[in-house]
Amino acid sequence: MSAIRTEGLSKRYRDTLALDDLDLTVEEGEVYGYLGPNGAGKTTTIRLLLGLHRPTGGRAELFGIDAWRDPVEAHRRVAYVAGEPFLWPALTSAETFEYFARLRGGTDTAYRDRLIERFQLDADRKVRALSKGNRQKVQLIAALASRADLLLLDEPTSGLDPLMEIAFREAVLEAKQRGQTVFLSSHIMSEVEALCDRVGILRAGRLVDEGTLAELRHLSASTVEITFAGTAPDLGHLPGVEIVAAGSNALRCEVTGSVAPLLAALAGLPVIALMSHERSLEEIFLHHYDTGDGRVSP
Amino acid sequence: MLSFALLYGLISLTMVAGYRHSYPTPRERAMFAQSFGANKAVRLFYGAPHDLLTIGGYTEWRLVGVGSIFAAVWGVLAAVRAMRAEEDAGRQELVLAGTVGRRSAYVAALGAIAVGATILWLATFLGLVVARLPAGSAASLSLATISPVLVFTGVGAVASQVAATRRLALELASGVIVLSFLLRVVADTSSGVGWLRWTTPLGWAEELRPFTGTRPAALVPPVIAGALLLLLAGSIAVRRDIGDGLLHGKDSATPRLRLLGSPTALALRNERGSLLAWLAGAGMYALVIGLLATTFSTRDISANLQEQLRKLGGISITTPTGALGLYFLFFVLAVSLFACAQVSAIRREEADGQLETLLVLPVGRSRWLIGRLVLAASGAAAIALTAATLAWAGAASQHADVSLTRMLAAGGNCLPTALLFLGLAALAFAVVPRASAGIAYALVLGTFLWQLLGALLDAPHWLVDLTPFQHVALVPAQPFRPAAAAALLAIGAATATAAVVVFRRRDLEGA
Repeated sequence: MSAIRTEGLSKRYRDTLALDDLDLTVEEGEVYGYLGPNGAGKTTTIRLLLGLHRPTGGRAELFGIDAWRDPVEAHRRVAYVAGEPFLWPALTSAETFEYFARLRGGTDTAYRDRLIERFQLDADRKVRALSKGNRQKVQLIAALASRADLLLLDEPTSGLDPLMEIAFREAVLEAKQRGQTVFLSSHIMSEVEALCDRVGILRAGRLVDEGTLAELRHLSASTVEITFAGTAPDLGHLPGVEIVAAGSNALRCEVTGSVAPLLAALAGLPVIALMSHERSLEEIFLHHYDTGDGRVSP
Repeated sequence: MLSFALLYGLISLTMVAGYRHSYPTPRERAMFAQSFGANKAVRLFYGAPHDLLTIGGYTEWRLVGVGSIFAAVWGVLAAVRAMRAEEDAGRQELVLAGTVGRRSAYVAALGAIAVGATILWLATFLGLVVARLPAGSAASLSLATISPVLVFTGVGAVASQVAATRRLALELASGVIVLSFLLRVVADTSSGVGWLRWTTPLGWAEELRPFTGTRPAALVPPVIAGALLLLLAGSIAVRRDIGDGLLHGKDSATPRLRLLGSPTALALRNERGSLLAWLAGAGMYALVIGLLATTFSTRDISANLQEQLRKLGGISITTPTGALGLYFLFFVLAVSLFACAQVSAIRREEADGQLETLLVLPVGRSRWLIGRLVLAASGAAAIALTAATLAWAGAASQHADVSLTRMLAAGGNCLPTALLFLGLAALAFAVVPRASAGIAYALVLGTFLWQLLGALLDAPHWLVDLTPFQHVALVPAQPFRPAAAAALLAIGAATATAAVVVFRRRDLEGA
């Protein structure tokens, strides 16, 4: 059974279409990265997955349970970390943890204490007196310690310092080793690149690309730079090869799909140096958002 | 703001029209002055009258007596909202990070309050003019009524600088209001201590006496005190750290694990302070009413007033049960307002985002809302029964002939109306969340005033019957009306059920 499955999921707020016909499947045990700039529909997706907002069309299921019709049953297996932490200002962190644990009907207290130490949180401080980053830690620790089957994380590291980000990555990898599913909405590429098995890219409410990092790299071009001993030949006619820049004895081209035709053509030529690099997730991402006039748009 | 303006306009209109209607001849006015004007229970709430034989003197007494308390409350609310609530919510930081300085932010907040006070003055003035009072006198009477805004804006401003949270600021400032009121009560009800009136801001408003020997000099203390308080608050505001107050609350605490078992339990934990304040306030008020229930003289009351009372249900205010029956109508109103305050707290939990945090846990929407409504209903019952018990204790200590059972029935009699408004307010919360608190308060105050006004204007029966207050029996003076109570309860239960059904189907809405 899939941890998350949506079919034709759409949401319209008055006259804005925030999410358009989303088909998404996340298998159990996967760490799924959900990428998109602000306003692309990431938080809307999560609100629909949690049954907080009502789908205009389609449906969302968590572990086969309809998120809108039966949210309580679905939530028993889910822990959520919101991008903006809304807690109870008069409670201390320790009281907040206790409240969450009682509402959930149990939590891994030993792991919670380890996390409190790892994230260096003073649990006796009142939420009112905590900075945003520290309130974010409270949410994260409560969610991780619940050992829920599915962790829904909405930009969980906003407000965390780099050291705490490392602690966060460790905790996510631990969750993965335990077989928990993680849905990580983010716009921090390095984080997604380091943690996620599969990535979906959202643009203006539509899923524009999806796959493992390898697949995404495969689908999109890699850049190859070649230096020749003599004059550079014209290789633009080869399938999947596009010349981006040409000098007298050097070429830079983008290769889409297999590099085999290019390598075959180069075999008989006096090549001095050959450099190739795969696109980073960031380049893939920007590729999807490039409007062609040098600007990047959602 | 709008509801306060409406309140002032309607009250000033009904005061004048009511007096004219009830006491048309000098003889009736003289009798009224003798019986009511001398009564301590009446003086307690309205202050000491100076002249009850003219419309002006009567209106001055009633309007300043009640209006000055509302003005104090409004001044505190407006100041704390402008000077602490924004900061508590973190928005003030954004404003001050821009090109707005501390000083100009403070001055802008004062400007907004000044505009609000002017609107209140205008509403009162218009109410009096519509009731055919001369414009000049209406203007100065309105000024006297609204004048406590000045001092209490200052009190709210200083409290906002001292306390680091909105709640604490409101608590401190409310304490000052209660103290001022108690001083006024002592000054107005005990002989020989009239000078005490000069020690309380609410007394200054009384001493202005626009109709009974104007004393412009009485404007000096409020102007000086208001200016000093505002200057003090301003000088603290430009010096202190943003987000902090002079009284720095404790930031750390050892965990207290009681009342964390369910959303309803946590709501009780968070609302405990305000519930206790309601209990204490209503209880004190009820005790005093009980103590004074036997003091209404048996002397003749104006024929017209008796006619009015007969319209209200043929009761006599000169017996303890009659007085208690009439006064408990105000508890019906108070407990209904408590229901509104609870729904407003429910909405705040959604607007501030905590509800979202709750509902992503295995907590159902119905369970959450029903729990909160049950908590509100239990709070209302606790307030009504506490008031009933203390009113009985007060009356019994004066050997009045009222049994505890009948007073408890009077307390219970407050609940059908309160639960009706709780249901209506909950439905407003489900359908139009952002406007729900305003709608709830407007419904309660509007229907209450309409009951007073409708009777005076001789409005058609079916129109007056629309207000729930028309159907409340004046227990213990009248027998409890089970049919009317059942009808109010049924509508309350039906609207509350509809609220739960609608709320299950809507998106959560932020602020």
